[in-house]
Parts: sequence; C-alpha cells; structure tokens
Amino acid sequence: MVAITTELRRQLSVKRSSDRAGLVFRSLLVFSLLIAFAILVAVLLTAVTRAWPILSERPLDFLTSKSSQDPSRAGVWQGIQGSVMLAAITAGVAFPIGIGAAIYLEEYAGDTRFARFTEVVVRNLAGVPSIVYGLLGLAIFVGNLGGLTGGRSVIAGGLTLACLVLPIVIITTQEALRAVPGELAQAGYGIGATQWEVIRSVVLPAAAPGILTGTVLSIARAAGEAAPILVVGALTGVFQTGTMSFLEQMQGFFTALPMQIFAFTKQPSEIWGAHAAGASVAILLVVIALNSVAIYVRARLDRNLRK
Amino acid sequence: MARRGVGAFLEIAQYCLVVMAVAIVEFYSGGFTGPVLFGRKLFETGTPGDFGPSNWTIGLVIYAAWVLWRAMGSTTPAGAALQQSFVDRTGAPAGFARTMVRNLTKFGAVYAFPLVMFDGNQLLWVALFVGCGFIIEAMHRYESPWDIVAGTTLVANAAKASPRSSGALTLSDLQLSGSRQAQDRRAANLLRLAGWVAIIVSLLIVWVVFKEAYVFVSDQDFSFGLLNIEGERKGWYPRRGLFDISTLLIGTLWVTGIAMAIAGPVGLGVAIYLSEYATPRVQRIVKPVIETLASVPSVVIGMFAIFFVSPSLLRFFFDDIGIFSIVAAGIGVGILTIPLVASITEDALRAVPRSLREAAYGLGARKITVALKVVFPAALSGISAAFIVGVSRAIGETMVVAIAAGGSGGTLFGYDPLVPGQTVTAAMASLGAGTDQVAGSGLAFQSLYFLGALLFLLTLALNVISDAIVRRFREVY
Amino acid sequence: MTSTKPEIDSMVGFEDARSVVTQAAGQEPAAAAPATDRAPVFEARDVSVYYSDFRAVTNVDLTINDNEITAFIGPSGCGKSTMLRTFNRMNDLIEGARMVGSLTYHGIDLYSDDVDPVAVRRRIGMVFQKPNPFPKSIYDNIAFGPRLAGTDENMDDIVERSLRGAGLWEEVKDRLKTSALGLSGGQQQRLCIARATAVNPDVLLMDEPCSALDPIATGRIEELMLEMKKDYTIVIVTHNMQQAARVSDRTAFFTAELDPNTDQRTGLLVEYDLTTTIFSQPADERTENYITGRFG
Repeated sequence: MVAITTELRRQLSVKRSSDRAGLVFRSLLVFSLLIAFAILVAVLLTAVTRAWPILSERPLDFLTSKSSQDPSRAGVWQGIQGSVMLAAITAGVAFPIGIGAAIYLEEYAGDTRFARFTEVVVRNLAGVPSIVYGLLGLAIFVGNLGGLTGGRSVIAGGLTLACLVLPIVIITTQEALRAVPGELAQAGYGIGATQWEVIRSVVLPAAAPGILTGTVLSIARAAGEAAPILVVGALTGVFQTGTMSFLEQMQGFFTALPMQIFAFTKQPSEIWGAHAAGASVAILLVVIALNSVAIYVRARLDRNLRK
Repeated sequence: MARRGVGAFLEIAQYCLVVMAVAIVEFYSGGFTGPVLFGRKLFETGTPGDFGPSNWTIGLVIYAAWVLWRAMGSTTPAGAALQQSFVDRTGAPAGFARTMVRNLTKFGAVYAFPLVMFDGNQLLWVALFVGCGFIIEAMHRYESPWDIVAGTTLVANAAKASPRSSGALTLSDLQLSGSRQAQDRRAANLLRLAGWVAIIVSLLIVWVVFKEAYVFVSDQDFSFGLLNIEGERKGWYPRRGLFDISTLLIGTLWVTGIAMAIAGPVGLGVAIYLSEYATPRVQRIVKPVIETLASVPSVVIGMFAIFFVSPSLLRFFFDDIGIFSIVAAGIGVGILTIPLVASITEDALRAVPRSLREAAYGLGARKITVALKVVFPAALSGISAAFIVGVSRAIGETMVVAIAAGGSGGTLFGYDPLVPGQTVTAAMASLGAGTDQVAGSGLAFQSLYFLGALLFLLTLALNVISDAIVRRFREVY
Repeated sequence: MTSTKPEIDSMVGFEDARSVVTQAAGQEPAAAAPATDRAPVFEARDVSVYYSDFRAVTNVDLTINDNEITAFIGPSGCGKSTMLRTFNRMNDLIEGARMVGSLTYHGIDLYSDDVDPVAVRRRIGMVFQKPNPFPKSIYDNIAFGPRLAGTDENMDDIVERSLRGAGLWEEVKDRLKTSALGLSGGQQQRLCIARATAVNPDVLLMDEPCSALDPIATGRIEELMLEMKKDYTIVIVTHNMQQAARVSDRTAFFTAELDPNTDQRTGLLVEYDLTTTIFSQPADERTENYITGRFG
C-alpha cells in the first residue's frame, strides 16, 4: 500500500529536468522574444546615441530651425510642420470617409453583391505596397487635380496618405462595429429609434474605443510613411518657407519628417547622420506616443467590457 | 398640397443671406483667390468689401452644397425650413436622384437661364425670382413643370406624433416626424456616398497604375527585349534606357528571402510563446512591445540598418562589406516584418479551439507536444497565410531598401547580396524622388508605373492566395 | 358564450390551410378571443411570417385586448417570438423577413405603407430576453427614448416616473449617473422595462423577460407586470408555464408541426383562450400534452 502511494507520488510529481525537449523548445521561444526586444532596444539606442551630438547641444534649436546647408544651423522645423499638416489632412479626409464607408458596409449594405465586392477590394487594397499609392497620388492629385492641389503640395501628399490609410480605417472600424453586441442595437430599435439614431446614439458610442484605436494607429502609420510622399514629391533638399498665406503654404513645396530622415541618410558626413538620428528620435517619440494612446484606449475598452 | 410659393420666397432669402455672409467673411478675411481648376479660376473675390458678382458665385456654390445636403433628405433648404418634403408618384419619399432632377430642372428653368440672359444683373434676377414666387403661389393648385418632369410632389411633413394621445389612434400617430425621417435618409445617403468614394479610390489605383504601365509597354521605343538585356550592359538604369527587370527581381528575391529568414522564425517563436506559454501578465507587457516595434517607421529602420546593422553586425561576419548592401536592407525589412508575421500567426494559433488543446492535455500530453503536435498542425494554414502576407509586405517595403541598399541611380545585374543593389520598390523610389528630371525623358517616367503594376500584381496575387487559405481554414472550425 | 370549440377546429385544420381561410371567412373571424368587454388592441387575421422561403409562423388568428396580459407559450421553434415581433415590426430588421395576412393595431393596418415601423415601436415597446441596458448611465438609459422622440415634459420627471413604475426608483435614486452595467441582472431587466415605458407606449411586448434571471428577480418582474397591467397592454412570451399561469389573463399555445407542402417545420397557433381555461380544461389534446409535460 505504501509502495503504491510513493510510486504514485513519484509519477505525479512533474520533474522539469525530465522534459528536456520542452525546456529547449521553451528557451527557443523565449530567445525569439528576446530578439524582438533586443531589436527594439537597439533601434532606440542607435537613434539616441547617434543623435547625441544634437540632443546634447541644441535639442530645441534642432526642432525649431529650418533646413539649411550648414549642419550646425539646420533643423527639422519644416519637416515637423509638413508632417503635422499631412497628418491633419489625412485624418480629415480618411476618417469621415473611412468610418462612413465602414458603417455603410456593416449596417446598411447587407449581404449584397456590391457589399461583398467592396469588402474584397478593401481587404486587398490594405495589402498594396505604400509606394503604389504614391503613383496614384502622382497621377491624380499632382497631375489631374494639380490646379486644385497646387501640384507637389501638402494637399496632394495628404490626400495620397488618406487613400493609403483608408482601407485600414475601414477594416478596423468594421471590426469595432462588429464587436458591438446586437442586443444593444435591438434595444435601440425597440424604443423606437430610427436606424441612424441607433447607429449614432448606440452603436457608434459602443464602438468608439475600437474605432479610436484603429484611427490613431492609422495616423501613426501615415506619419511614418515616406515612400508615397516621396513619389508625390516631398522635397529632400533645402528650401525656403517665408511668410506665405495659409493657402499658399498648403499648395506650395513641402517636406515631412520621414522625408528629411531619408535625405539626411543620403549625406555621407557624420554630422548629417546625427541629423537623421535626431529626426528619428523625434518621429519615434510621436509614433510611440500615438501608439501608447491606442494601447491605453484598448486597455480601457477591455476593462469596460469585463465589467 | 403644400404651398410652394412661400418656399420660393424663402429660397431667394436664404440665398441672399448666404451671399451676404460670404461678403462679410470676405471683408474680414481680406479677400482671396479661389483654386484654379482645369486651368481656369473658379472664382475670385475681387476687392475686399466690394459687394461684387463674385460673392454671388461663391454664394451659389455654398447654396448648391446646402441644396445637395437637403436633397439627401428628400427636400430643399427652403422645404426643410417649412417642414415640407418631396414624395414620388407612389407617395414614398423621393430619392436623392429624383429630388436632384427636380431641383436642377427648376434651377435651369427659373434661375440659370435668366441669369445668363440678364448677363449677371443680379437685381433683375432677384426680381424674376420673386415674380416666380408669386406665380407659383398663385398656381399652387397645379403641379409645377419641374415637379412634372421629375415626378415629384411637395407635401407637408407628417406632424410629430404626440405622446399617447388621449383620443382615438390615428394614422399620423404611426408616422415618423418628417425631420427625423429626413435625417435618417440623409445619413443613409451620406454613408452610401462614403462607401462609393472608398470603392472609387480603390478602382482609381488600379486604373491609373495600369493605364500608365500600358503607355510604357505600348511605347514605340519599348520592346520586351528591353526588360531582359543580354551582354555587358545588363542592369537597371532607366535614365539611360536600360530596363533589365531581372536585376530588380533578383534584388527583391534576396531582400525578401533574407527578411523572411529573420521574420519567419522570430515571428513564429513570439507568436507561439504568446498564445501557448505566456501568462496574461506577460502578454500585457509583450504585446505593446511588439506593437511598438510594428509602428516604428521604415525610414527609422533604414537608418538603423546603415548605422548599426552594417557597421556593427555585418562587419563582424564579412570583413569587406560596405555600409550599403542588399543584406543590410534584407535584415532591416525582416525587422519590419516580424510584428506582422507574429500577430497574424498568433491569431491563427488562438483560433484553434480550446477543446482541442484540452483533449490533448486530457490524454496526458506535455505542453510541447500540444503546441507542436496539436496546435501547430491545426493552425498550419493560418500560419502559412501569415508567411505569405509577410512575403507580400517584404516585397512592398520601400524606404529601408532605398536607404540601406544603396544603388540609387541604378544597378548592374548581379547575384551578390553583399554589394549595393536595388529592389523593385527601391527602384521606384529613386525614380520617383527625381520625378522632376524624369518627367520629360521618354520611357523612364512610365517605367515607374510599369514597376508599380508589377508590384501591384505580385502583392495582390499573394494576398489573394493567403485570403483563400485563411477562408478554407476558417471553414475547418 | 365561451364555447371555443368551432374556433379550435378551424385552427387545427392547418393541414389544409385553405380550408382554414374559407371556414374563417364563413364565420366570425375564427380565433378571436372569447367574448370580452375590453377593446381589442391587436387583431391578427391569417398572419404568416416568412424568413426568405422558410415559413416560421402559419395562419395565426388572434385578438389581443386592452389592459390584459396575454402569454404566448409553446416549445422552442414554435414561432411565438416571431409572432411577438410582428406586433412592433421588429421582424422588419431581419433581411428577408415578411409578413402575410392582416394585422391591425387599434384598427389601423400595422403593415400599411403609410405606417412607419419606427413610430410603431415608440407606441409598442419591447423588453428582450437578455437584459440589454446601454453602456451609459442609468439616467441616460431612461432618457434615451424621450430624447429621440422629443418631449415637453421635464426629463428628470420622466426618469423618476419610469423608474418608479418599474419599482426601481428607491434602489437607484442615489446613483442615477452611474453606469447601468453595474446593476444586477434583475435590476437591469427592470431598468429595461423602465426604459421601454419612458416613451409612454401603450403596449409592452416581453420576449422571455425572465429567462436570464433567478427566481427572486423573476418574482419581482411578475409582480411588476401585474401592477403595470392597469396602464399597459402586455404580451409576454415565456417558456415557463407556471409564469404564464401566474400572470396572464389569456394564453396562446403555439406549436411547431411539419408542413406537408414544404416538408419544413412551421409554427402554428393551436389554442387561444382564457388562461384558466387553457390550464384547467384545454380543448386541444396537444395543449393538454404540453401542459402536462408529455410533450415539448
């Protein structure tokens, strides 16, 4: 009897060492995770150390100076300006259209052929490389609509980026709308709300955190994109922005932070490398901040759902 | 039948108000010139504060937008103010198209034609407007010509149903107030419009890219021999008329291969760890890290590749490697692809039903056995879809390669990944960055679109394949 | 005048649907409820509901009276919920759903083109199986409907009146601005009832309102229903026969049978009578089998 219990106890006690294959496997997994961590840390460290000459000496001056041939006076102010304007135009165009299209597809279109066709198109469009959107922008917004946008302008760039994030906004909004329990909409209809009232007052508020997460992430994506606006014609060199009116500024030459990073990396000397790294630090801060907002919103959403 | 003449008076009053508002804004903003469309000035405000004809035009544009907005609710700006809307012959609310046909007919008949006749004399125009109002009002028993053309009738909106009327229930108690009905219709129309814009943008991409690519292919200087040059000058130098595609394809293959060699195992490892091993607490830490990695802009990774990967990492293995090389670009692209592969793979693993795992555990299986022998095979199709999407992303990645692979002007044909080179996307970027010079020089500009079309087809094919795999895999569970 | 025999016969004659119609045409409308002095609210004549090609409910004739509680009972899939949802046109929201036959509400054809389903639902409120408060504050949940429909009344008064009506005021009056999701299941369901009554409907449709609740919460809701009867006409779908027996004045028993024409199961009304009659001396054998637990 005693013998049986000890035997049983021996069998039930899990010995980690005996599961060697499992341990190796687990270590491999942790290793891959560590690689991912290490890469992120290395990217951040490289950016900061390379940018140190600038970060330590003139961090604010670097951010608020215009571009210049002289590395000790050059800054990224125009790039920041351009990126902010691009992001604003992108958000202003892509969010209403994208969210509207998603609501239409989810709530109105039903299971029609048009809806299915749109779904397929949008999903595949999200996978089209960003530089191809640059071609669209170059042909349509710079070419055909040049009179309206002013050619190679912030408007053309912003519209191009809006097209780029449009499928992403649509897809994330659709997912957020699908996650809203059908009973809530039913409740709204049951009280005598019209379809629009149900969407506006019940479905959209419930889906708002999800939609917000998606849109914030898409703006972060747009802010970091260089390929499309490169094709559309963001400048890489030195240029002047004087005292132009708002409209002229919108229709004039422009650059953006990612474009400036690209331009700086093309310069051979060490100090321009520091500029590239400095601009990278700036853009990383913005992107990580946007990302944190999205993560925070989603975490709150999860908490609310659990309640 | 609702009285229409009142609406006509109100219409002109609304329009004049808009014009006045424009004049006031113009006065305080100091005046501006409108955009140039198709080589013509759309409008010009003239001297600030001057109550000139331009204000009427700007006002017209604004009022037209207002009319469009109201037409989505089957009414007009004036009709909305008077709680009236249009119905068609069947008595159902008139659709957007029908309402606009009616509005445009009326505009042409009453407003636009005389406007041209009077050569912009707005006072005469307003007089005519008011006169029309009187005539319409006098004839309000009869259908107006534009209503006959469009098949519409103006009706008063249903009254707001009173809460629980004490008397007998009437039909109007079971009708929605006109304003809510109009709001509902307008929202539906606007949202449908957004859906159409999305579709149009999508189709525009395909059309634009392939149209220009066709220009390249159908150019008389073009022959398919150009795409595969034999001999000494084999390479991609578009500005010198050398369009050897195989040069770029080999570069793309190298970059994609190296990228997936990194992103595949690391992404898979991270995904398996997250879905099978990590506690919720660990997940809460790891996921944001992966997401942050996903959101690092590609130019930053490009910078990382030439500032860290090449000098510190690759020098260690290859003594004579330069700063710019295909390998460095491939590693950079791989870093960018890790989070994508990881997240799609994790979704695939999580989609494996819990019951399957529990069944295996119930048989006394170890964790590694469950992960590798049960979950992994079950999620295999989803994982392969993740890899295909990863490949598609790697092929399409531009800036890392444009920065780290060097070769901006062009590239000679070669198989060596340790030297500078170009991919399809990087070639497009270098072409695009110099579009000013390219614009006039024959085939070079169109070759940009040719590459775009190639890229589009390639990634589309990959996405379609992965989609098909995922759909089949969804059907299994 | 409570002889229900002929009416039941015509209902049973489902096998030949046409004969039902001819019979019904010959006599008084067949399944009109037993004589009463109350005014009819709903009169369903030969109502069938289809989901695309599938016929969910077949040839229902039924009259629902003012200020009474009518219970729909029957096994799963017998179409009682579908029938309930035709009363406030909730089925309109389901793609492919359509109703055939005639359904009047206070004498007005509910399915006429002039009638707007949204306006209908404001007068005919609904409470659902699962408590479904909006993820907003208690106050905003109640105010939701009145805000949309527009009202001259003070919103605070509406909220208090509705919550008192649902017997919830004392429990929540100090936390009106807190999330409705913090309430217990039973409280949530009473909140949903209050929310439905806030727009002053005259009918309340309840689709298994207690199936997600514990017995104590169920008891409270039942008390509430009996209390609300004086202000509202209530139609309730329930799986729970005791509940039907406890609260309802009249009971309609539905069942699902194979339609020989289409080879699909379809719901039909077997018997409709005073609740006391249904539970003490049902006229139809199927009703008796169901009530005594031999079926369903």
